[in-house]
Amino acid sequence: MSQVSSSSLPEPAVHLRGVNKRFGATAAVVNLDLCVPRGALVGLLGPNGAGKSTAIRMIMSLIRQDSGELRVLGGDALDMKDRIGYLPEERGVYRRMRVGEFLMYLGRLKGLPRQGLANCVERWLERIELPGVFRSRCQELSKGMQQKVQFIGAVLHEPDLIVLDEPFSGLDPLNARVLISVVQELHREGRTIFLSTHQMSQAEQLCQQVILINRGEKILDSTIREVTQRFSPWAIEVEPLASLPATHDVLAAIDGVESTHASDDGHSLTLNIDSTHDLQVVMNRAVALVPCRRIEITRVSLDDVFVRLVTEHGGHARQPARGAA
Amino acid sequence: MLPQSNQSASKRPDSGFRWSRIATIATREFRQTVFTKGFIFGAVLFPLVMFAVIGVMPFLMSSSPVPVSGTLVVADEDGSVARAMQKLFDQYKTGNNANSAQAIQDAFAAGQAGDVSSLQSLVDLPRSIDVIVRRVALDTDLAAVREEVQRGELLALIEIPASLLGANPSTVTDIVLLVPTTSPAKTTALFSRVSREATVIARVERTGMDLAQARALVREPKADTARLTKEGAQAKEHTEMRFLIPAGFMMLMWIATFTSANQLLTTTIEEKSSKVIEVLLSAVSPLELLSGKIVGQSLVSLLMLSTYGAAGIAGLAFMTMLDILPLSTLVLFLVWFLLAYFMVASIMAAVGSAVSDLREAQSLVQLPMIIMIIPLLLWMPITENPTGWPATIASFIPLAGPFVMVLRTTAAVEPISTWQIAIALIVNAGTTIALVWIASRIFRVGVLMQGKPPTPRELLRWARTR
Repeated sequence: MSQVSSSSLPEPAVHLRGVNKRFGATAAVVNLDLCVPRGALVGLLGPNGAGKSTAIRMIMSLIRQDSGELRVLGGDALDMKDRIGYLPEERGVYRRMRVGEFLMYLGRLKGLPRQGLANCVERWLERIELPGVFRSRCQELSKGMQQKVQFIGAVLHEPDLIVLDEPFSGLDPLNARVLISVVQELHREGRTIFLSTHQMSQAEQLCQQVILINRGEKILDSTIREVTQRFSPWAIEVEPLASLPATHDVLAAIDGVESTHASDDGHSLTLNIDSTHDLQVVMNRAVALVPCRRIEITRVSLDDVFVRLVTEHGGHARQPARGAA
Repeated sequence: MLPQSNQSASKRPDSGFRWSRIATIATREFRQTVFTKGFIFGAVLFPLVMFAVIGVMPFLMSSSPVPVSGTLVVADEDGSVARAMQKLFDQYKTGNNANSAQAIQDAFAAGQAGDVSSLQSLVDLPRSIDVIVRRVALDTDLAAVREEVQRGELLALIEIPASLLGANPSTVTDIVLLVPTTSPAKTTALFSRVSREATVIARVERTGMDLAQARALVREPKADTARLTKEGAQAKEHTEMRFLIPAGFMMLMWIATFTSANQLLTTTIEEKSSKVIEVLLSAVSPLELLSGKIVGQSLVSLLMLSTYGAAGIAGLAFMTMLDILPLSTLVLFLVWFLLAYFMVASIMAAVGSAVSDLREAQSLVQLPMIIMIIPLLLWMPITENPTGWPATIASFIPLAGPFVMVLRTTAAVEPISTWQIAIALIVNAGTTIALVWIASRIFRVGVLMQGKPPTPRELLRWARTR
């Protein structure tokens, strides 16, 4: 594998430069540059079929890129398997194997010593709120439970880099919350976490940095703060104490308000402000004129950014192709 | 606080190919295959039970008396057959053949036993016989006698047509033997045999000849066959075994090889369809996974070979025929087996990685299966002439070679030429290495592929993929 030059130390946990991958006539990943710093929690976002799983499989060395440079933990992922934990998008367990036996098998493959492994697995099962399933067969568990078991398989060996492909999909809110807390804890321990998702709220809650790809191309690579600042609309949302019809005209007449938009429930009003005016000034004026239950500068949601960017990038429809799963 | 293992990942050395992973995968494959009820019964218990049954059969036979007691009616022309039958029954009763099991063993040990069927008929003889033969004339109305037989009051009614006793006995007329529905099969077989034997005795007596002399005249002498080797030594010929042992060895190799290779195909497809393959490949390389699976199933195969082989060798030892299986033959057998197994296993693993279900696999394994059927088709000619040119050429056909060489090695009285063994080894070992390499290339690409099954041409393209 070619070397990716790096001027800063330590070398990023994941570093892709100009990576391309095609399946037949379909370009799955196009000229992808990506950098996941050590110890970071980075989300890879994108609509279905955007190329997230293909990118992750290349990072895991499950498939080879057609061109471009790729380094994981400063080397080839093939040589770092024991230091990487991976939860694939498509969940799979040995159905007839017992849960404990399955996890110990994965642990052994990852180089964990036999001694103490069963205890470690038991503790993980308890941590992830699956006590008492050590001797159950995998096929006896629900899909969500199997997913949690597989999550343990990805982190059991205390890897430096954890790659999670859609880790929360298919989980109910309670189980998703359990996994989120474990992911946050792993991150606090200093492990690098790279996860793909199309659930923006979870990405917003978890990630320091998000990378958005569509049609195999990267269309956004920023920290959450930068995204918020860059895509925040110049607007204020007001919920007056009095009824909206009674206060609408007063608010719309404030200097700097270009247009207004009432919410669907009729309780609040969004004031779109001329970008030459100071938001704080307009806000103070509104509070002075109309008693408010709530007034705030409108925040952009990652969901809005996602929809906007993907739409600008030509939508997400793409021809299916035969290729790696 | 998250659970901690004894050794964190960062403290473990970075590693590429690692034998411990292969051992872990092989152990799982072995355990998951062997510790199942189906395998334990089919591959371990069945041969053991089979051998145990063969071993204790003579004792079971000798300790299972079937008493026969009562009266039977014989309708014949002049009473000669009835008299002969009574005499035969009395002989059994008074001792000459009273302990039939012992008689069999004695005859067998002395090499005097006839063919297998006559041996079997001896085995079937009841040990306790007390039969009274009542003779009636042929022209008697037998309706009343038949009713007695129906009611079970008589053991049997035997009609001996007059045409069977003339100077030129009929070859189309049969003895009529009527028994009640409750008559045991062994008893019926006894009456059949005694009536036939008595008919022959009556015929001979009519000619005035001595029965013993007549028997001696018509008895075919046995041919005690031995092969003269080029060195001048005599090798004892076991005619039946010369055909059975090569077939037995080849079938054993077939069963052991294909059972495990088929298991390899099935588990690979299962791992692929259940998506667990991606989890495994995040921990090990495709080559490690393939190697572990092949090694694990080879242990399964060797276990099967050991259980069935041990049962077979014990059987030969029981028949004091171990001399026909020299140690060198067993060692060579092991070598041919390993070559055959790795060839077939590589093909099955490659196919398993490329398809999504067993149906799709069938079309891809057709060609290799046809080649491997060659030894089965050539079993008789190769066994008949293990050093002939068809056998020699077939030894050099990749895939078929190991099976053919096992046939030849076990069938040949003289050792196969060293140069032929060497060439067959080189050809088949080369093929094995090539197939394992190709399988690893196909496996690497195939296990992550979904969609329609690849064509053979696509498989070759995968094998060439960097």
